[in-house]
Amino acid sequence: MNKTLVSFLVFVVGLAVFHNAIFPIFTPKEVGWVLNRYVYFLVFIAYLIITHLVLRLKAPIALTALYVWSLGFYFYKYVLFPPIPWTLFITYMVMWSIGTFLFVSQDPETFRAFRKPIVKTIVGEYKFAQIIVLIAMPLLVGFATYNVIYPSYQEPVELRTVHPAPPATTKVHGKTYPLESTNNPFRIDEQDNYKDSFPFLDADKHEYMKYVTEGGTIFFQNCHYCHGDQLNGLGMFSHVFNPTPANFIDPGTIAMLQEAFLFWRVAKGGPGLPNESTPWSSAMPPWEEHLKTDEMWKVILFEYWYTGWHPRTFGTEGSVGE
Amino acid sequence: MLGNNKHWIKAFSLGLIMAMAIYFTPGVTSDAIAKEAFAEQVFAEQAFAKEVLAEDDAAEGEGETEVEWSQDVFYKDWEGNPLKGPVSGFPAPELGPSDYNNYEFAPSRMLLWVANQQHLYFGSFVLAVPIFCMLIEFIGIRSKEEDPIMSAKYDRLAHDLMKVSLTAYSWTAILGGILLFTFITLFPGFFKYMAGIFRPVMHVYALMFLAESGVLYVYYYGWDRMKDDPFLKWIHCSLSVLLNLIGTVLMYLANSWATFMQAPGGIDSEGRFLGNIWHVIHSTLWNPVGVHRILGNIVFGGGIVGAYAAYHYLTAKNEEEKAHYDWVCYVAMFICIFGLIPLPFAGYWLMKEVYAFRQQMGITLMGGIMAWLFIIQAVMIGLLFFAANSYLHNGMSRVKGAHRYMKYCKYMVLLLICCFTMWMTPHTIVMTPAELKAMGGAQHPVIGHFGVMSAKNTAVNLMITTTVLCFLLYQKANKRITVPWQTVGNCWIAAIFVGAAANIIFLGVYGYFLPANQRVGLSVPQVTTTLTTLFAGTAINISMFKDSESYGEIQWGSQSKVGTYAIFLLAISFTWLMGLMGYIRSAVRLFWHVTEVVRDNSVDAYTLTIGEAGKMLTFNTLFVWTQFVVVFWVGSLTGKKVVEKTADAVPVPAQQ
Repeated sequence: MNKTLVSFLVFVVGLAVFHNAIFPIFTPKEVGWVLNRYVYFLVFIAYLIITHLVLRLKAPIALTALYVWSLGFYFYKYVLFPPIPWTLFITYMVMWSIGTFLFVSQDPETFRAFRKPIVKTIVGEYKFAQIIVLIAMPLLVGFATYNVIYPSYQEPVELRTVHPAPPATTKVHGKTYPLESTNNPFRIDEQDNYKDSFPFLDADKHEYMKYVTEGGTIFFQNCHYCHGDQLNGLGMFSHVFNPTPANFIDPGTIAMLQEAFLFWRVAKGGPGLPNESTPWSSAMPPWEEHLKTDEMWKVILFEYWYTGWHPRTFGTEGSVGE
Repeated sequence: MLGNNKHWIKAFSLGLIMAMAIYFTPGVTSDAIAKEAFAEQVFAEQAFAKEVLAEDDAAEGEGETEVEWSQDVFYKDWEGNPLKGPVSGFPAPELGPSDYNNYEFAPSRMLLWVANQQHLYFGSFVLAVPIFCMLIEFIGIRSKEEDPIMSAKYDRLAHDLMKVSLTAYSWTAILGGILLFTFITLFPGFFKYMAGIFRPVMHVYALMFLAESGVLYVYYYGWDRMKDDPFLKWIHCSLSVLLNLIGTVLMYLANSWATFMQAPGGIDSEGRFLGNIWHVIHSTLWNPVGVHRILGNIVFGGGIVGAYAAYHYLTAKNEEEKAHYDWVCYVAMFICIFGLIPLPFAGYWLMKEVYAFRQQMGITLMGGIMAWLFIIQAVMIGLLFFAANSYLHNGMSRVKGAHRYMKYCKYMVLLLICCFTMWMTPHTIVMTPAELKAMGGAQHPVIGHFGVMSAKNTAVNLMITTTVLCFLLYQKANKRITVPWQTVGNCWIAAIFVGAAANIIFLGVYGYFLPANQRVGLSVPQVTTTLTTLFAGTAINISMFKDSESYGEIQWGSQSKVGTYAIFLLAISFTWLMGLMGYIRSAVRLFWHVTEVVRDNSVDAYTLTIGEAGKMLTFNTLFVWTQFVVVFWVGSLTGKKVVEKTADAVPVPAQQ
């Protein structure tokens, strides 16, 4: 049998079998170090390589390019979980397509070999392929046109500015705070053993831990409904909001920000967002209307303590405190 | 591998030394020099202040007006208190409708943008070309005894480039004039204030142009006359050094206006000049912008010369011409990639200084309203690296013996793509509410980790390291190494690259467990690791070439079309990228002409949407390339006759 055809069958049939029979095995409810979808993907690639080596199959470069491109598509579409947004999928696939092109055009010989079947199809040497392409192309264009024209009721995508630039100063409870230089007044005698100690047991021993505990109490009375009891943005009300509440565990949120920035955000909430944060759809209340200044600082202290992050500082003194 | 490897080894060594100087000099010496300079400065200022006070006292006695003292908006003394200086200028104006003019057909801001950007593009080009000419002429002189044919070839190339630069120089001056008139006519109020502050700098700038023009004309028109006598040739080459020095001073002076607007110093909060012009010039962003622009100019100039040569290569009518332009493409790309590798690091330095100046500005750039433009920037930088690597991969195919290494190209492409995917994954993803729910939150549990700087620094350093590796393989492609320590040498190179990759990845992962301010610091060892691969890898590689045998000559003139088109991609992408970054740097002032001092009260004081900004950038790119085509065409008018006349005398492009 033609080795190119065998190679193609190995890929197509293999993918069908893997996707339908083996993929469910690798995606149990309890994801483990071995039984997970990424290991499955590696296993599939290993299958392709080993099969080609054992059967001594060497697919033409155009077919290899098709495999490479399809593997990228398969990974981003089906393997990567949770599914990524459409905009990101398109971006990734453009990247992967460029990579595939670089792969086939890495030297003139491979590029010539890659173009060969395409040219032969166009000029009619591959009659059958030409017919398929000539039928498939208008169908694809028609399908794409149909998809574009068909009315869609999906909400439009939003390009939000998540970290708007803070103002130079903010006025809370009648006092003006310069955001660049304001520090948390309760960050004193900070103990750097965030993860290894349980605060509530020795809270009385350290003033710092006392404030953290108080902040925690305020957090669980007011904030955890949205931001979650693990501070991961998955509180019981979180799923009804868009944008979703901030995930403080993520290294891209409070870990990157000064405490004064948080103070401004907590105090002013969604209504106090600046112009660039259009459409100002955050459901965060302006907590200055419900909490005292000290209480807001203590909550912030707790958030950093719980997550293990240090607030952003711009000096070498770091977060040693005052 | 090259026209003549020994010459290129020398050139490369020279380049390395220059690059090291650019990198390490500020790092190694800046602290010590800064402290010393600052101490001297404070001492001098105190002395000056006493003198002025004494004069004041005397003046008071005579019943004259008292000198007013005010606090600097940026500079501080040793104790961290704002530095004081005598008020020596008028306060910044509150601009009103009468301070802005406009035409009906386009907003003033857009017109100014186009005028500014076009001038900057041409300015970059005419500053970059003399750097090329200096290097190429130097190599030509050094190689004259060993290889007169190659020497003549280098000399001809430098001369040809200078010829184009001469036309571009006049063009740049014309565009500068247009820019000046645009400022005066459309933004008179703002320009009056700037002229009041920078009055002496503007005059020195104009005088420096006289010096630049004089040296340029002597350099170009004296080329043939100074060509044959070795002593005169060295003098001629020295002129190119002088030309570059003057050019660099010019650029730095012009930079001071832009950096002052973004991060002012030397004035008080009312915008009054405090008597020290050096403070105004040497504001906090002056140095990083200067270094970034020098490197950017080199890449930009390399891209333009490369595209020019690529066009001639594709349209060449005979083998000889093809071989020549293929070689020119290589020289241009060599210089271009050499500038491209350190460019991101200079960018990091600039951003660090922006953050240090105003956290707000940094957040607006990296996490706020400009963040998406940075994502586009990431895409463009990725394209540059793809283009550079594609050129190197394709270039290898015309080198005999390269088959030994070409099998690794696909793995390097894979690594580049993976890193690039990480590099450009945004922290804030554009998505519909349904997608957001499907994802379970704003951050994806897997790729969400790529949205922060730890991942991005790791990715870009790995991309650069891969490009360096590709270049080393290119270097040794046609060499049969004969030194007895070749196995040890290869093991060292392998160890350096594997170790570097492991270190970069380790530091990247470690960054996730550190506070943000310490995490930022990790970029320093990452960059150092990357540069180590560049310097140490290249040094070992070149050392191994001693007494090496050649697998065969480089077949100049046989570069693939894909590789040639990659040069166009690089040149155009870089032009667009330059415009983009210029726009971001300038637009981050938002509604200020001079940050926090002169407010922009014009109707144009708004931030463009990404789409509108993209259209303007594309227009500027197309417009400048149209002009480049015209300039090159004008430059070629005299060249054609010369080539025809001296066809026999022009050496055949190297075939080794």
